[in-house]
Amino acid sequence: MSKFQPLASFLSSHHEYKLLPFKFEQLNDQDYVLTNLTGDYLSVPRAQLNRIVEHQVTPDEPIYSDLRSKHFIYEPNDIAPVELLGLKLRTKYSRLAEFTNLHIFVVTLRCDHSCPYCQVSRQSEDKAAFDMTPAMADKALDFVFKTPSKAIKIEFQGGEPLLNFEMVRYVVLEAEKRNAVTQRELAFVIATTLSLVTDDILSFCRDHNIVLSSSLDGPEELHNANRPRPNRNSHQKFVEGLNKARLALGFDNVSALMTTTEASLPMVNDIIDEYLRLGFRGIFLRPLSPYGFAIKTKKYRSYNTQRWLEFYKEGLNYIIELNRSGVKFSEHYTSLILTKMMTSTDPGYVDLMNPAGLGIAAIVFNYDGGVYASDESRMLAEMGDQTFLLGNVLVNTYEEVMLSDKLLDALEESFTLSVPMCSDCAFEPYCGAEPVYHHAIHKDFVAKKPESEFCNRNMSIFKHILGLMHSDKFTKQLFLEWSTRC
Amino acid sequence: MLKLGGRVIEIKGAQPATTMLFSVSTNKLLPKVLKESKAYLVDEMDVPEDFAHYLILDSKKDLIESIPPGSEFTILPEDYAYLGNNDVIRLSSDRSSIRVLFRETASNNSILITEQCNHYCLMCSQPPKAHDDSWIIEETFKLIPLIPKTTKEIGFTGGEPTLFGDRFLELLRYTKSELPITAIHILSNGRSFKSEEFSKKYSEINHFDMMVGIPIYSDDPAQHDYIVQAKGAFDETIQGILNLKRLGQKVEIRIVLHKQSITRLINLCEFIGRNLIFVDHVALMGLEMIGFTRANLEELWIDPIVYRDTLSEAVGILAAYGLSVSVYNHQLCLVNSDIKPYYRKSISDWKNEFAPECAGCKKISECGGFFSSGIQNGYSKNLLPFQ
Amino acid sequence: MSVTTLTFDERIYPVDALQKAAYRFMNLFVVDFSIDKNLIICSLKPTQNSSQEGMDYHIDEFKKEVLDQVLRLKIKAETEDVRNLILGIAFSKSGFQ
Repeated sequence: MSKFQPLASFLSSHHEYKLLPFKFEQLNDQDYVLTNLTGDYLSVPRAQLNRIVEHQVTPDEPIYSDLRSKHFIYEPNDIAPVELLGLKLRTKYSRLAEFTNLHIFVVTLRCDHSCPYCQVSRQSEDKAAFDMTPAMADKALDFVFKTPSKAIKIEFQGGEPLLNFEMVRYVVLEAEKRNAVTQRELAFVIATTLSLVTDDILSFCRDHNIVLSSSLDGPEELHNANRPRPNRNSHQKFVEGLNKARLALGFDNVSALMTTTEASLPMVNDIIDEYLRLGFRGIFLRPLSPYGFAIKTKKYRSYNTQRWLEFYKEGLNYIIELNRSGVKFSEHYTSLILTKMMTSTDPGYVDLMNPAGLGIAAIVFNYDGGVYASDESRMLAEMGDQTFLLGNVLVNTYEEVMLSDKLLDALEESFTLSVPMCSDCAFEPYCGAEPVYHHAIHKDFVAKKPESEFCNRNMSIFKHILGLMHSDKFTKQLFLEWSTRC
Repeated sequence: MLKLGGRVIEIKGAQPATTMLFSVSTNKLLPKVLKESKAYLVDEMDVPEDFAHYLILDSKKDLIESIPPGSEFTILPEDYAYLGNNDVIRLSSDRSSIRVLFRETASNNSILITEQCNHYCLMCSQPPKAHDDSWIIEETFKLIPLIPKTTKEIGFTGGEPTLFGDRFLELLRYTKSELPITAIHILSNGRSFKSEEFSKKYSEINHFDMMVGIPIYSDDPAQHDYIVQAKGAFDETIQGILNLKRLGQKVEIRIVLHKQSITRLINLCEFIGRNLIFVDHVALMGLEMIGFTRANLEELWIDPIVYRDTLSEAVGILAAYGLSVSVYNHQLCLVNSDIKPYYRKSISDWKNEFAPECAGCKKISECGGFFSSGIQNGYSKNLLPFQ
Repeated sequence: MSVTTLTFDERIYPVDALQKAAYRFMNLFVVDFSIDKNLIICSLKPTQNSSQEGMDYHIDEFKKEVLDQVLRLKIKAETEDVRNLILGIAFSKSGFQ
């Protein structure tokens, strides 16, 4: 009988390994995190980093096995690592080929609320001035069905879309008619406060599988302070509408998003409790909106970022403890990032995409026929900046809009792998290009990232999440489950 | 444990130095044309004529007088009392032996088509032999038509079945046409599929349900190569898996759990979730105390109760990634209850038994028990019957 | 607040690495570059965002960042070919889907 060879005879001789492309950032006082092209990561002490690059790590060290398995190094005869990296990268970018998925129809600017942070709504009865017309809707639908994407999501926004429900109805029926031919996966969402929901509206939604997305800023006092309405009863109307809608459409077909304001910052746990109380299974801890406030100084911006980061960390911590005590509740922004960290799937979140999601992932058709590269682009226009207005459905062709210099310049110039700092950043696989934000605050699609609160905030979040992943087994498993749900 | 092969008491009337394959029958009413190729299992005095061969258990030896004069017959030891209708056997007249190749009532049937292998796994339950045994695959071509066409699934194992290259693919094609509704499960190290040409020909068989079960024992190529005792194995195995999946073929990853593979099991599951998420199934399997395992006991044996938490964590990771997972060949009292959704009562019926310590256990019917080799050669000292 | 001058031998520190490190620290210093024979001279002038007390710490961090940037350039150069290979595989027409 032949002899069995020991492990040592399967290890390669020293200094033979080659580096695979990777980047690194400091994680904390002791450790650096390495990431490769596809977002695989490994944290190592700083001293090891040099040894790795200088080819001094030897095959008998455990770190050698980890580096090889996670695709940071490979041995000269290895073929599989390069093939696997190519495959993962291809998967990561496969969404690009699908092109535009989210199409937002702003059917009216009229609204029954007058939230101070909203840039767009009008307190008005003038339908002619502020409602989308059927002619615009038809042209917009022409645009919609030009996308190669197998899945098309049409989202109705406003103002308050329910104030122009006839248009919602029109678009849904028209879209379904056209889809009978093209057979895409068609999905509809209405972003609404729920205060004006009626039985008729709900049965139409049920009949056409329309889901509702609403706003819940927190407990009653906070919510009403944020979202003024005649009779000051936004929260009460929300809860009434929520219950009616859930009954008609199904519990999970009504979701809620929060808007974070100054007033929200000290009370994250109370806000989460309110979501729990009303039966939601997750929350999206959104950043403070940079628009609408006259934030002039860098200092004030960075102060806000710090306060928001405390808000986020505290909220996330509370949510993890909730899960530990048996309550299934998730945080959406963290989940999106985790999807990018733990899998090769792109969750398709417009604000964290590279190339930027402008136009190529999402597009907006405004009440006046204007075509905008994103929702933020529209808000910017309402504040007087038309940089991201790509055209008008009544005047321009699809090609004129999608191939416009306005769109292409923004996409190209903000491409993270080409710009200073981002191109070297280890967190680039998890992050995104944000030309609209950077243009709004810094007048530059790219901006200087050391000065960017978008960059600052996201880097802190990435480091925080990576730290938590290693904190204990429960959190690691919880985060893994979140990462695969997107 | 069922005895599947060995000496018979006597074979009478057959040509000297011949090997015969027979489908076993207990059906007196078969028409003559069908009897002519089958072996009848004699049970009582009224023995039908015209069968090609007759089988008589030693305890029923006196029935020899009842069989048609001049017929060939074999006297079988009592070990083979389990034989039944539609089973397939091989009788060798020169070695006076029997081998049961297929059993209709078995929970699964695996056909060994070679003992040759290009690996030499530390825990191999079928230690490789180097000599030319191509007669086995040739005989398999004769075996396939004797297998009942209603069979749900058959397996091809070895050694390494793909070593026969095109001949193996022909066998698969042949099996597809002879057994069109039978699923096929192939156990292979996957390295032959590194050849795009071979993989393409394999995919062109276009079988309705054919899967390759491919072992990966570590995310660390060096450790995997060590466990299978073949340098470069990991790299080629991965290439093989990628080729198969590119062509839309089904692939299962199999991991045998022992002291070596447990060390990086978590890393391996993370690797699978990150890199091989498209595989169709992942099987985590208990160690069989047979073959090479016994020679390498020091390096391999670990009481499953010691790794129960690691197993739970591993299953948790695979399940979080949405992979289809099964845990085989473990005893219920040695694993955590959180793996129950993935636990399969799986040891082949001809291999399994229970230990004396199991007496009175309330969950004995849900438990897979042990490999008989385990009962003989060593098992956990931490068995605890459920009350 | 005072200007700190650091010198780097250009034969050891690629100027790219220095410029990239300076870019990352632009919130804390404005860096002026000049060259004298083989020496690159960096004048670090603190911005209004930094304080005198923190300066020593920030300067140490800057030096560490320079080393990090040197390492990054090294990795980039060494992995250029295999990176193109991987991209080629990722965006090729054949394979999955």
